[in-house]
Amino acid sequence: MATDVSIIGQSARVHGRVVGTADVEVLGFVDGGVAVTGSVTVGVHAMVGAGIQGRRVVVRGAVRGDLVGSEAVVVEEGARVVGDVRAPSVAIAPGALVRGFVQAGEPDQAPLARAAEGARAVSTPAVAARVAAKSQAAAPVATTPRAAAAHPPQARATNTAVAAAASPARPQGARPATAVPARHPPAVAATPPASAPRHPPPPIVPALKKSRGQMAKRRER
Amino acid sequence: MPPTPKNAGAPGRGANARMTETFMASTVIGAGITIEGEITTDEDVVVAGTVRGKVTAKEAVTIEAGATVEADVSGGSLAIAGSLTGNVTAVERVDLQSGSRVIGNVKAARVTIADGAQFKGNVDMDV
Repeated sequence: MATDVSIIGQSARVHGRVVGTADVEVLGFVDGGVAVTGSVTVGVHAMVGAGIQGRRVVVRGAVRGDLVGSEAVVVEEGARVVGDVRAPSVAIAPGALVRGFVQAGEPDQAPLARAAEGARAVSTPAVAARVAAKSQAAAPVATTPRAAAAHPPQARATNTAVAAAASPARPQGARPATAVPARHPPAVAATPPASAPRHPPPPIVPALKKSRGQMAKRRER
Repeated sequence: MPPTPKNAGAPGRGANARMTETFMASTVIGAGITIEGEITTDEDVVVAGTVRGKVTAKEAVTIEAGATVEADVSGGSLAIAGSLTGNVTAVERVDLQSGSRVIGNVKAARVTIADGAQFKGNVDMDV
């Protein structure tokens, strides 16, 4: 029966949440979140304005919210995601746009070490391409090239770099070249800001020092 | 009661179109899915799951047997076989099919209530 799969049609707008235990295909617009135990597909022209939770989440359109897959998250070519991505297996195809913290694999394994490993993997285009293509579950997939747990705001790196780096390995075919690879040259991928000293020591404020001294003197009096 | 084709009152559609109605339907809320909020669409809606809130469509709205709708529903034409609580408005017609359970007011140019349908509410047929 056709009603096994739920479809939010192309012209449909849902202002509210979509929850349940079946598969959902979003081709239109969903304002609230999508939380199902089945798989979720966001179509090419679709837009979801909040987080998506599902067994397997496939995004070809736009999502502004976190993607959480209990099995996998696949961000396809042309997709735009602003939000964190979490799943045992994460795939980000060349030409996809992701802005947020990406966590692939089990969440309990030492996040710092894994993030560092991910950064190393990302810096080589071949690895990134393989990761994007195969989306291996156990591999330290294309995580953000930083230890996100330490400084979450700065960790929100544009992962398009991953896709851009991977794009030479997979030609785009007849599809007219979008601005995405041009805007994000592969050089971006090679500069993970991991080693850069993000936080210089706070400047010593002479006024503060002085006032402290004065206060101390006052106390002595 | 003879088996009623789904969306018997779908406006501007031929018999062939009706046969593939569920397949063609632009928006399908399947069994096991709950929408909490408002659905607005220019095309058809088929509800087999649960909707709480509001449903607004320009074309046919079908509420299948087993579906639960707690919402005001408006559309081009409505075919109801499931459970519906809320006010119903259609441009063309409303069909309460056998086995349906509707609590609310119904407003449409044509209204049919099949034998075996449960209905409590006002009917407004003057347009």
